[in-house]
Amino acid sequence: MTEPGSEAPPEIAFTFDGQPIRARAGATLLQAWIAAGLPLTENVGCMGQGVCGACRVLVRRPGERLAGTALACEMQAEAGMQVSFVDHFPARRAHAYDLHALTDSWTALEQIDRVFPEARHCRHCGGCDHACPKGIAVQRMVTLAAEGQAFAAAALFDHCVLCNLCVAACPEHIDPAHLGQFVRRMTAALTLRPADLIARLREIEQGGQPIDPEAPGANPAAAPSP
Amino acid sequence: MTRPYPAALAAWRGAAPAPAVASPLPVPALLERFHPDRQHSAMVTLAVGSSAGQPCRAELAALLQADALVEDVDIAGAPVLEADVLVIGGGGAGCVAALTAARAGARVLLATKLRLGDSNTVMAEGGIQAAIGAEDSLQRHFEDTLRAGHFVADKALVAALVSDGPAAIRWLIQEGMSFDLAPGSDRMGGQLLRRKPGGATAARLLSYRDFTGLEMMRALREATLLQPGITLLDRHPALELLTDDRGRCAGAVLHDLAQGRPVLARAGATLLATGGAGRLHAAGFPTSNHYGATADGLVLAYRAGAALRDMDSLQYHPTGIAWPPHMTGALVSEAARASGAALVNGLGARFVDELATRDVVAAAILREIAEGRGIGRDGVEGVFLDTPGLEAREPGILAQRLVTLTHLAGRAGFDAAQEPFLVRPTLHYQNGGVAIDAAGRTAVPGLLCAGEVTGGLHGRNRMMGNALLELVVFGRRGGQAAAEDARGERPRSIGLNHLAEWRRGLIAQGLPLTRRTPILFPPYGNFDATADRGRAA
Ligand SMILES: Cc1cc2nc3c(=O)[nH]c(=O)nc-3n(C[C@H](O)[C@H](O)[C@H](O)COP(=O)(O)OP(=O)(O)OC[C@H]3O[C@@H](n4cnc5c(N)ncnc54)[C@H](O)[C@@H]3O)c2cc1C
Ligand code: SF4
Ligand code: SF4
Repeated sequence: MTEPGSEAPPEIAFTFDGQPIRARAGATLLQAWIAAGLPLTENVGCMGQGVCGACRVLVRRPGERLAGTALACEMQAEAGMQVSFVDHFPARRAHAYDLHALTDSWTALEQIDRVFPEARHCRHCGGCDHACPKGIAVQRMVTLAAEGQAFAAAALFDHCVLCNLCVAACPEHIDPAHLGQFVRRMTAALTLRPADLIARLREIEQGGQPIDPEAPGANPAAAPSP
Repeated sequence: MTRPYPAALAAWRGAAPAPAVASPLPVPALLERFHPDRQHSAMVTLAVGSSAGQPCRAELAALLQADALVEDVDIAGAPVLEADVLVIGGGGAGCVAALTAARAGARVLLATKLRLGDSNTVMAEGGIQAAIGAEDSLQRHFEDTLRAGHFVADKALVAALVSDGPAAIRWLIQEGMSFDLAPGSDRMGGQLLRRKPGGATAARLLSYRDFTGLEMMRALREATLLQPGITLLDRHPALELLTDDRGRCAGAVLHDLAQGRPVLARAGATLLATGGAGRLHAAGFPTSNHYGATADGLVLAYRAGAALRDMDSLQYHPTGIAWPPHMTGALVSEAARASGAALVNGLGARFVDELATRDVVAAAILREIAEGRGIGRDGVEGVFLDTPGLEAREPGILAQRLVTLTHLAGRAGFDAAQEPFLVRPTLHYQNGGVAIDAAGRTAVPGLLCAGEVTGGLHGRNRMMGNALLELVVFGRRGGQAAAEDARGERPRSIGLNHLAEWRRGLIAQGLPLTRRTPILFPPYGNFDATADRGRAA
C-alpha cells in the first residue's frame, strides 16, 4: 500500500541475508525485503525517516572489498549488492549512572571518567567512524568527552540515531553511543535553565494560572471561527 | 485535468511568490465534501463491546470486532513473569510511565514489540506545546486545544494536559533533553524558541531542531535502560490481556518473537502505551507512522471491556511525500508551514491558509487534486510545498532549522532550496482511542492507558505538539497511578476470563469468529502470529 508502483519499472537482482532477491529499481532495501515476501518482525522501526537506527545493514557492492554500514530504509537496492541485517544486541548496562545525582558541574570531567573510564584509552583505530551510518565524527567526540569538553562533544552527537553500530565496532568497549548520550544529557540537565519556563512554573505554583472550563472561548457557541 | 509536473513547475516559477488566496469554500462544506472521514462508506457502527452503537472507522472496527489470538490451551504451561506494573509499548509514553512507576517503588516489566524506542515518538519532528510565553497562558492553551478539536474533547483531560505542560518540559530537561533557544538567548536565564502551531493563538511550540522526537526518545531510552527496577523485554508484543474472575486486568499474554512462544506477564496494574494505527492504511492512505502502529492496544483494551471514543476520527497530515514513490507517506514536518512555507497548486496559486488546522488543510489539498488543480508526477498526484520560496525569504533556514526536511529532499534526489516538494495528505494520527480519566485509568480495574492509544484529549482534530506533551503528561500520571493501584488488592484466578463473554457477544451479533486480532504487523510484514507460535511447539 505504501508502494503504488502501477507502472512496471525495471527489476534488479541482489542478495539479502543470503537470499537472492529481485526488486523494482528505486526500492529501498527494506521495501525490497518486504516485496520479496520475507517476514519482517525486527530490524525495522520508522520505515524511511532514518531516525530510529533499527534497520542496520552491512552492504557490499560488486567490486568493493569492504562492506559498509547503512540503514535499510534509506538505501536503495542496487544490482549485485550483498546485504545483511545487523541484528540488535541488547544493551549492556556496564556504564551505569544516575543523572539526577549529578548536580555539581565542577565535577563533570570526573563523572565522565568515572562512568566511562575506557574513553581515555581510545586507540584511535577509527572503527567507530567507519561504522557510523550517519557520518558522525565518533572518535573525535570520544576524545573531546575524555578531555571534559562536554558541549563540543555533545554537539557532535546531534544526529546520532542510537543504532549502536559504533558500540559494536569499538575494541576498547568504550560504548561511544552511550558516552555521547551521557554528555548530551548531562549538559542539558545541568545547564539549560530557561527564564520564561521558570517564571511560568512559579506562577503556576502560586496559583496564578487558573483554568476556567466555562470561559466563553472554551465553548462552541461563543468561540470565534478559526 | 491534473497539471503535469513540468507545466506546474513553470506555473509556480512564473507566479512566485504565489499570492494569498482566501479559501472560497466555507470550512464546514470543505470538510464535509473532501475530508476522508466524511466519505460515506468510511464508518460502521460498532455492534459489540462497551462502545456498541458508536461510529467507528471501518478498518478499525474489523479488528475490534474479532476473536482473540490465544485460547486457554495456548497459554497452559507458558513461562510466567511477575511484576507490580506491566507497561506494554516502548515508545515515549511507555518509557515515561515505566520510569515514573519504577521511581514510585514499583517493580516494572516493560514489554515492547520491536526494540525499545522504535515508535512514533522517535519520528516526531515539529515540537511539543507548553504555554510558557509571557503573553500566553494555560487558559489559552486550553481553549486552543478545545477549539482545534471542534469542542468535543474531554475538558478535564485537556485541563490536566495544559496545566502539567510547563512541568513536563522541566521534567524532560531533567532527563537530559535539550530544547532550542530563541536566537541570541543564553542557556541560563534565556528564552526558549517558540513558534505558533497551526490553529493556535500564541507561539507555544517548543522544539529541538526538527527532530524533537529523536531528541526526546534518546533521553528517555537512556533513562529507561539505566533505571533500576525496570526489566525490559524487546520483541515481546502483547497478544491479549489477562483478567481475573472479577474482570480486573491482571497482566498480559506476550509473544516472545525470538523463541516463537507465549509468555505470561502477571501484574497488579497494566498500562497500555501501544501508540497509534497508521499502518492500517485507512482509506488506502499512505502513512507517516512507524512499522508497529497497528492498533493492537485498542483491540486488547476493547476486548477486556474498556470503552473507546472518537473512533471515527483519524488525522491526515496535510504534507506527506507524494513523490518519489519509495518515500510515499513520509512526513514533511508542519514546521515548514509554521516557518512560512506556502502550499501551491498546479496553477501556481495558493489555495488555503497554511496555518489552518490540519483537517482543513488536508481537505483543501484533496479538493485541489479532486478538482483538477493538482500536480501529477509518475502517476502520483499532489500539490507543491514551496520550500524555495521560504528559503528566499529567510536564507539559511533550511540548512539550520529544517534539517530533517533538507535531508529528506536530499534522499528524494532534489535540493529543497531549489525545487518544491510534491506533497499530499498522509495518515498520521488517531484522534480517538481508549477512554481514560485524568489519572490514565480506564473503565477496567487494573488497566491504564497513556499516549496515542487514548482518546478524549484531542477531540476530532489534534493540534501539532499536543501528542508529545500528552505522552509525557499522561505517561507520568498513568505511571504514578499504576504504581499506586499495584499496591492494592491483587488479581486472583487469572486467565482469559473475559473471552467467553466476548465470543458470546460476537456470535449474538452474527459476527464471524474467524478473524483473529491484534495483527501486530502490517499485512506486508508477512507474519502470522498463530503460525509463529507453532514454530516453538
Ligand atoms: C512522523 C511523525 C511526526 C510527528 N510529529 C509530532 C510533533 O511534531 N509533535 C507532536 O506532538 N506529535 C507528533 N507526532 C505524534 C507523536 O509522535 C505520537 O503521537 C506520540 O509519539 C505517540 O507516543 P506513544 O508513546 O503513545 O506511541 P509510540 O511512540 O508509537 O509507541 C508505541 C510503542 O508501542 C509498541 N507496540 C505497539 N503494539 C504493541 C504490542 N502489541 N505489544 C507491545 N508493544 C507494542 C510500538 O512498537 C511502539 O514502540 C508525530 C508522529 C509521527 C508519526
Ligand atoms: S549510535 Fe554510533 S554509529 Fe549509530 S548513529 Fe550514533 S554515533 Fe553513529
Ligand atoms: S572504535 Fe573505539 S577505540 Fe577505535 S577510535 Fe572509536 S572509540 Fe576509539
